[in-house]
Amino acid sequence: MNAKTITIANLTALVDDLVASGTCVTAPARAAGGKVDYRPITSFPEAAFNTELPRRSLKEFFLPPTEPLFSWRLGGPGIRISEVTTSFAPHVILGARPCDAAAVEILDRVMGWDYRDELWFGRREATTILSVACPGVDGSCFCTATGRGPESSRGSDVMLTPLGDVFLADVVTPKGETFVGENAKRFDDARGAAVTDGASRTSNAAAVGQPKLPLPEVQRWLAHGFDHELWSTIALACHGCGACASVCPTCHCFDIVDEPEGVLSGTRRRNWDTCQAARFTVHASGHNPRADQAARLRQRVMHKFWIYPSRFGEVLCTGCGRCARACSAGVDLPEVLRTITALAAPGGPEEAAV
Amino acid sequence: MNIYQPTLMTISDITDETSDTRTLRLAFQDPQLAERFDFKAGQFGEYSAFGAGESTFCIASSPTRKDSIECTFKAVGKATKAMRELAVGDTMGFRGPYGNHFPLDRMEKSSVVFIAGGIGLAPVRCVIWNVLDLRDRFDDVTVIYGARSVPDLVYKRELAQWAARGDVKLWQTVDPGGQTPDWPGEVGFVPAIVEKAAPSAKNAFAVVCGPPVMIKYTLPVLQKLGFADDRVYTTLENRMKCGIGKCGRCNVGPVYVCKDGPVFSAAELAALPAEY
Amino acid sequence: MTQLQELARTLLSEAAVGVVIGWEEGPRGARPAFVTDPARADRLIFDRRCTANLATYLSPRRTHLAPLGKAAVVVKGCDARAVAGLIRETQIRREDVVLIGVRCGGVLADPASTAPLTADTVADRCPGCQAREPGLADHVVGDLPPAPPGEATRDALIARLDASSPSERWAFWMREFSRCVRCNACREVCPMCFCERCVADKTQPQWLESSPHPRGNLAWHLTRALHQAGRCADCGECARACPAGIPLGLLNRKIAQIVAERFDYRTGDDPSVPAPIGTYSLSDRQEFIL
Repeated sequence: MNAKTITIANLTALVDDLVASGTCVTAPARAAGGKVDYRPITSFPEAAFNTELPRRSLKEFFLPPTEPLFSWRLGGPGIRISEVTTSFAPHVILGARPCDAAAVEILDRVMGWDYRDELWFGRREATTILSVACPGVDGSCFCTATGRGPESSRGSDVMLTPLGDVFLADVVTPKGETFVGENAKRFDDARGAAVTDGASRTSNAAAVGQPKLPLPEVQRWLAHGFDHELWSTIALACHGCGACASVCPTCHCFDIVDEPEGVLSGTRRRNWDTCQAARFTVHASGHNPRADQAARLRQRVMHKFWIYPSRFGEVLCTGCGRCARACSAGVDLPEVLRTITALAAPGGPEEAAV
Repeated sequence: MNIYQPTLMTISDITDETSDTRTLRLAFQDPQLAERFDFKAGQFGEYSAFGAGESTFCIASSPTRKDSIECTFKAVGKATKAMRELAVGDTMGFRGPYGNHFPLDRMEKSSVVFIAGGIGLAPVRCVIWNVLDLRDRFDDVTVIYGARSVPDLVYKRELAQWAARGDVKLWQTVDPGGQTPDWPGEVGFVPAIVEKAAPSAKNAFAVVCGPPVMIKYTLPVLQKLGFADDRVYTTLENRMKCGIGKCGRCNVGPVYVCKDGPVFSAAELAALPAEY
Repeated sequence: MTQLQELARTLLSEAAVGVVIGWEEGPRGARPAFVTDPARADRLIFDRRCTANLATYLSPRRTHLAPLGKAAVVVKGCDARAVAGLIRETQIRREDVVLIGVRCGGVLADPASTAPLTADTVADRCPGCQAREPGLADHVVGDLPPAPPGEATRDALIARLDASSPSERWAFWMREFSRCVRCNACREVCPMCFCERCVADKTQPQWLESSPHPRGNLAWHLTRALHQAGRCADCGECARACPAGIPLGLLNRKIAQIVAERFDYRTGDDPSVPAPIGTYSLSDRQEFIL
């Protein structure tokens, strides 16, 4: 284990170094109004590690809510296309939650599936992610059930663990190695005590209290559960509002639109979209294969816990719990998973007692 | 350059198949691409009318004729209406070929029965020409095609060419009430004409495409005639955007129509949830 | 059983309704509940955490609720205004819904909270509420709690904004809208956003850009606020649902102030009172035309 430590003073200086060199540093920080978002910071004191969970995840730094794909200009019968760049300025994300970092790696699968999404990977290549081990947020967390955990280093380049006035810094990836090497003067080698403290941290895991959800069994149930009446029950309250998808670290569906700017030119963009929107699957003929909210909510659960894992080997969820917190109608994904777990159990109840 | 950026095409020919259905022939503006481009029957592309958007159509021409590609569409929405405004010489965009294809190599040395309704002939026509251009690799070729009325038949010129060939058995039909006084073909819905034509299922494959209701009633007729589920192929139409498996829109059960399809056998279709 | 539970049990067992839409205890506080079994009427609760406006579930767009049959809906005074709006605009008929009014002393801004109801935790529409006993109801249950705590702060905030310069106001709103990702939660939870096809979703022609950039977001929020003029029930669901915390209630409240001033109209729970948006009166002010 390539363990380093970094004092708070050095971390402060590191942020100053990065900012001075023109690198954008993003960290959880308070916005006007006091809520925590992942936002650009110019100095370390602005960062708010491990307070409230940032409202949104890291996905917007790799898949922006709106992103130009190219622009066009008309000239007579001809058209000239202006490309957009696929290389991006260096970016450091500092203080990511493990659930958010892991999600980015899960999305690499679909973004690299046969066709390599240069915009996604361009931003990935430019970005270094330093996560901070998490003390947990509240009862809606279920990261351990998705194969992650509050100290999971999946998706991180460097994993920081707070130990009083220093952070233990585990180098996870070659990119993390490069980062630490380039900023070597800010890092110290981890002394024995720090490493031991670090090792003992897992026993303090905030994972205690998280629900045990056997997702492989959920996946098996979902493969045959399309017609179950569960979907019409749990969808009753759902407004199809899409708030869950917007805060979700792994939801990635998008729309593609042409936006004229004046008469002669315009930009084709991709924008966040959601399978929860009523018109998501509507055909030009007007036929809508998913015509009600029960069908749409079913799709969200199926895609995350059966379809994506059967295709890519990873559940499309990191158990951050934002969907449950964001839902204004009380649709609770951990509860849905618990219900399916009960249905999937041998001799389980015939009907969902929801 | 990124995967969402289309290549530029010039409209080289326009044919109005019916009052609302048009075929565009498109030539690659990039000469290297014009040279290199290849695809297999059944694949689709994303066609751009810049300023309006992209639309998903099968590549309606055959891969055996590579100097240009064709698409056939009805102007129903924003992008297709804008396409309808374009003239010969205008520029469009194209991304593709995407998706899977009809398993022609599996169909060689067999008979092929093509069944289509309305504009559903477009993806099938691509395969028909592919087969006819390699005619000696296949046994009997039957085409059963129908539309609502005589004016609604698409590819009328090509229907005449197929009718004139001795190596194709062509059945044309229109819905009851859609015939003209001098209509020489059948009158009746496509599934009924399939039953009448009773093509032999012996060593045969079927390729079916058309409105959902037509497919729904044709599949049981084929089953009754003895066509096994894995020897009947169709092509699905789903709302698509990226066409390359990333935007999530065409996901149906465990498949992405743009990646695992759009060509599916009847057996594969039966395994999918009814969300298409 | 409480009065509310007893009433629900009776309505269901007598088949007067097929479903009672109320609130229940969920994993994260009070949440909407759909009770179809009279034996489960004991799920229904009403307390300070029952913030959600259930009137949205009456919208005819919710086709997946239709199979449950005729609904009884539990409404606070503010929710009753939304039901009145749906009736006024002929989305539902009065006789097609049973309304169970609950006497209310204010609700928490956050239904997941367990905090007591104070000036800091109360929803911003509650202080000064004039509708604590719902007027539009078939039954009214519960005792009348004390008035909601706190002072009404929204109008003061709007006055501050109005007093600032146009460029300051512009900066305020563009900063708030910069967090909008056009998830459309505000629209989907709103009982008065019942259009089968929203103007923002129309493509022929494209009235509003769907992209979440400053231009698109401004167009969306202003359009929605204007389409709510004289219709917004002031239930607060849009702001509560917004995952980006945009203070949408301020926009709708500002428009409501303008409607009050120019048309002497405030959205109320009497569906027979016509709203200005659909009515013409000879006394309408028209100094901006002449």
